[in-house]
Amino acid sequence: MRVSLQWIKDFVDVKASPVEIADRLTMAGLEIEGIERVDGDMVIEVEGMGHSGHTGNDMVFEVNVTPNRPDCLSILGIAREVAAAFQLPLKMPAADPGEGLTPSGISVEIADTDLCSRYAGRQISGVTVSESPKWMRDRLEKCGIRPINNIVDVTNYVLLELGHPLHAFDADKLAERKIRVARAGRDAAIMTLDGVERKPDENSLLIWDGSGPVAIAGVMGGEGSAVTATTRNIFLESAYFEPTSVRRTSKQLGLRSESSYRFERGTDIEFLETALNRASLLMKETGGGTIHHLVDVYLNRYQPVTVEVSYERVNRLLGTAIPGQDILGILGRLGIGTEDKGETFLVTPPAYLRDIRHTVDVVEEVARIYGFGNIPSRVPKTALSDGSTNPRETAISSVRESVRKSGFTEAVNYSFMNTADLDMLSIPADDERRKYISVKNPLRQEDGAMRTTLAPALIRNFMHNISRGVRDIRFFELSKVFIDEGGRLPSERLRLGGLFYRDRSPSIWRQDLPSFYFVKGALEALLDELRLKESSYVMSEETFLHPGKAADVLIRGARAGYVGELGPAIIEKLDLKISKPEVVVFELDLDMVLGMVSRAKTYSQIPRYPSVERDMAIILDDDITADDVLRYFSGYTSDLIESIELFDYYKGKNMPEGKKSLAFRVVYRAGDRTLTDEESFLPKHVPMLSKRAISLTSTCLCFIASEVAINDILGPSTLTTVLPVFPSRSSRTPAAPALYPKFTSKADDPPERTRCPGVTSLTSGMMYIPGTCIPVFFMNSTTSGSVLSLFSSCCLTYFPAPASFLWPKASTPADSSYSISPPASLSPSATMIIYVPAFTSERITRAK
Amino acid sequence: MDELLALRESFRSEVSAVNSLADLQNLKNRYSGKKGLLTSRLKSLSSVPADQKPKFGKDLNELKEYIEGEIKGRESALREDDYRQRLLAEKIDITLPGRPAFFGRTHPINQVLSEIKAIFVSMGFGLEEGPEIELDYYNFEALNIPKDHPARDMQDTFYVSDDVVLRTHTSPVQVRVMEKRRPPLRIIVPGKVYRCDSDVTHTPMFHQVEGLMVDTDISFADLKGLLELFIHNLFGSNTPVRFRPSYFPFTEPSAEVDIGCIFCSGSGCRICKTTGWLEILGSGMVNPRVFEMAGYGPDEYSGFAFGMGVERITMLKYGIDDLRLFFENDLRFLRQF
Ligand SMILES: [Zn+2]
Repeated sequence: MRVSLQWIKDFVDVKASPVEIADRLTMAGLEIEGIERVDGDMVIEVEGMGHSGHTGNDMVFEVNVTPNRPDCLSILGIAREVAAAFQLPLKMPAADPGEGLTPSGISVEIADTDLCSRYAGRQISGVTVSESPKWMRDRLEKCGIRPINNIVDVTNYVLLELGHPLHAFDADKLAERKIRVARAGRDAAIMTLDGVERKPDENSLLIWDGSGPVAIAGVMGGEGSAVTATTRNIFLESAYFEPTSVRRTSKQLGLRSESSYRFERGTDIEFLETALNRASLLMKETGGGTIHHLVDVYLNRYQPVTVEVSYERVNRLLGTAIPGQDILGILGRLGIGTEDKGETFLVTPPAYLRDIRHTVDVVEEVARIYGFGNIPSRVPKTALSDGSTNPRETAISSVRESVRKSGFTEAVNYSFMNTADLDMLSIPADDERRKYISVKNPLRQEDGAMRTTLAPALIRNFMHNISRGVRDIRFFELSKVFIDEGGRLPSERLRLGGLFYRDRSPSIWRQDLPSFYFVKGALEALLDELRLKESSYVMSEETFLHPGKAADVLIRGARAGYVGELGPAIIEKLDLKISKPEVVVFELDLDMVLGMVSRAKTYSQIPRYPSVERDMAIILDDDITADDVLRYFSGYTSDLIESIELFDYYKGKNMPEGKKSLAFRVVYRAGDRTLTDEESFLPKHVPMLSKRAISLTSTCLCFIASEVAINDILGPSTLTTVLPVFPSRSSRTPAAPALYPKFTSKADDPPERTRCPGVTSLTSGMMYIPGTCIPVFFMNSTTSGSVLSLFSSCCLTYFPAPASFLWPKASTPADSSYSISPPASLSPSATMIIYVPAFTSERITRAK
Repeated sequence: MDELLALRESFRSEVSAVNSLADLQNLKNRYSGKKGLLTSRLKSLSSVPADQKPKFGKDLNELKEYIEGEIKGRESALREDDYRQRLLAEKIDITLPGRPAFFGRTHPINQVLSEIKAIFVSMGFGLEEGPEIELDYYNFEALNIPKDHPARDMQDTFYVSDDVVLRTHTSPVQVRVMEKRRPPLRIIVPGKVYRCDSDVTHTPMFHQVEGLMVDTDISFADLKGLLELFIHNLFGSNTPVRFRPSYFPFTEPSAEVDIGCIFCSGSGCRICKTTGWLEILGSGMVNPRVFEMAGYGPDEYSGFAFGMGVERITMLKYGIDDLRLFFENDLRFLRQF
């Protein structure tokens, strides 16, 4: 609100500088947001509050009046505050039209007394509508109101000055010279002063004359009864309308005015007569004419509420020791009546402070005039309590730190979503992400829904950055999504989302792994940080991801999210102008993940005995996943196996088309002894491999397949000495050789006894690599039962079987016969190769 | 005599010229070898007059010790040098960049948010959270902001339905917590809030931290003490703080808290609109009507609440001049923090 200092000085003789006045008002709760130096209606300069000095013709304060201070929505109200702050007397302008006036000749009836407690008015007859005097026009303009004519200007002038809205009717246009205050009822319509046809709802309060509505009570007058240049007789309205009613009507019609603004905050029901009189006198002064007698229907009289407050309570709430006398003094300066009762005092607020009804209201008035700065500061004394740590918060922080340390930078996006984004991502119709919450009044249609997924915003962040030349883009976001599950409030779920993109410009150090694995690595690190071990990855069905490069993240078998490359169709829509960009996105349901985190950390002793490591490379069809193999291994229990870890992946040169090599390291350890070689002999722990492993039709292929993997482990020098083992012609069980036969030269080629009895085709067999003790097994399980038992007998033959020799689903082995049934998932046509390139590194070194 | 002196001199100049172990070995042989110069001198001892013999012998011995000592010293120096040379031959280009392994950054808002949280946690406050899509009841009614109250204009609200809104502040969590727990309460509530407003100084979503402390005898002086402590922690202990009366429907008395402008030290500048002060948070004594609605006896307890905008504090702390940068997520911006 704009307030002229010159005008304030009509009410209070304040000598302080504008800056000081502004400062005192600000510190009493009326924040002065700016000071302008004006001359006439011209703004000369904006005065800095920190500077003092020149006073122009006038100063205008921009006051921020909070909704609890309707009493300050006027010059008078501000002047009252100035008077209280500087302890000066308040002067009131003349407002007495005198006695013995002729009746106004307008009848007033309040039909809906719940919405209007008082309606008063006067007729001013014989006025001349013309321009207002310059002083009045100047003041209006300084306060931001455009002058119109003397009648309208006076109502505005008094509104600004005394804070009470008035309305001037052309008395001759009021049918039957009658005013009725009543609800709109059905189908009421009125053309308001701004020339718009309004249709107030049933409960809106209207002012009616004998034929129809003439004003929307407290909001705006009707055009039909408006004062025009030819108006001679005025009916001036000064009423009290229920704040909530005015507010509702104003909101419903989308029509706000200086009047409605004040009515909805609460006006002074007692004071409205003074405002009416003041305006009547000003109309007479500026337009001539005669003031008529007051019409006043005052049904619900204002009853001042007396509040009893204890001095001790005031001081206890403020933490002060203000003497009782000072408390009463402060209230007195605000025009609040008080009466001392010893321990307590009675407070009788004036009508303009009718909101003072409770102890705290009184405390507030005392505090702001006493000065917040004068209240001491004290560090609160309160009992210690637990609960300042929040495990969920701690977990969220560690998630943030973990992802950040994987190179992702945190983004924060608006929680809004464009529903078209769901179509862009081809999210299916029955997907949960389609159950979004809509906002009724969004700022833009694109922000019309609350997010159900973080992906679209992350893709937008990616687009923003790539178009600005950023080449390495790694984002994560920790935000809620909102799923409408039909309850009163939606389900809010915390999500961790992320996006990874790195362009293919050469890097000084090799970093050429597919982006997918980078992100997966980050997620694995995160789950490790949370001590969540049981996670797995399965092919994802997400519609917007590359079907071959996307995984669902499962934790303890439950789907916690996805990670994958954006599919080519989406990439095309993004129009990136980069060929085949790898943009990997992920999202995790963090509520679910955190729900599985256990706070308990358990200690187990650091192993005392050394481990034995066994490496094994397997050549497999591409579509057999590493997880298939690991899961297969994990189905196989042995107390001695500490871990099985995939440590190498190879695909490419020398590898048959459609095949890959995976190398696993099996760590054996016993808690109570150093293991013997027999105990940790690998083949007995390696179960049959499922599905379609490489299909060998010749020793030559076998050679190639082995070469690659062995090469990886032993280096190329041993390659040429790989020897195939040919099928044996006899079915005689060979004699057992020494444990781990050593072949140190070509002369030590496998003797007859290494031939496997019963192996009848080239697709099965066994071979040794001279120079090392590396047995290589490869076999075909077309005749699974017999071949497997053959395999076992080979093992038996060459490597004495320890008692713990176990196969999955195997019955207890007895002596030399092993009943081995192939795993259920083993396809009858499966071929398996297992070769065991290294027993221990020590042994390999020795052999070399 | 002079002969020995000359020998010593010639050795001295030769040994200092030796640069390799091989040369040193030659030198050693030449002087102290079986047919070396020293040995030959020793052999000439017999030809020295008897009275000079002891002295000659002593001098010769001294010279021998000197030469052997020098050779030893020179040898270890050369060996060291040789070792060093061999290692240097293995040198790598240490000016090549390291293998890239950089960390990401936390969003500046969340950096400041954790700072704020840490300060309050250190003062014994617990962290609470609540729904971002909230019932009108908790967002307004229970905070003493009835329907059709002008205070609703203070916040432009996004509506989901007539009684469901996007929370306009984190204050509803106050009520939710009070409904569940009895004092003493010391909580802060960080979170996202929404206002239907977008311009240079407003974004439709921003972050707030709400605080609440309730006990049997909490006063306005406690509010001042605690918030001053907080501000001094966050902005430095010399930061001036002032409390000025304001209005929030759920607190009474209410106070805006200003800090002395950190850009102009209070002398007045563009950022503080020449006032010398920057508004930093809102606060006040919990309105007894809020206690009542939460089911507390209004005279039984007293307490204070406060709330602050994290974006604003972040902008002040880092001198950021455009609010919208926070939500653009430009990596060139985010990586500065
Ligand atoms: Zn400043």
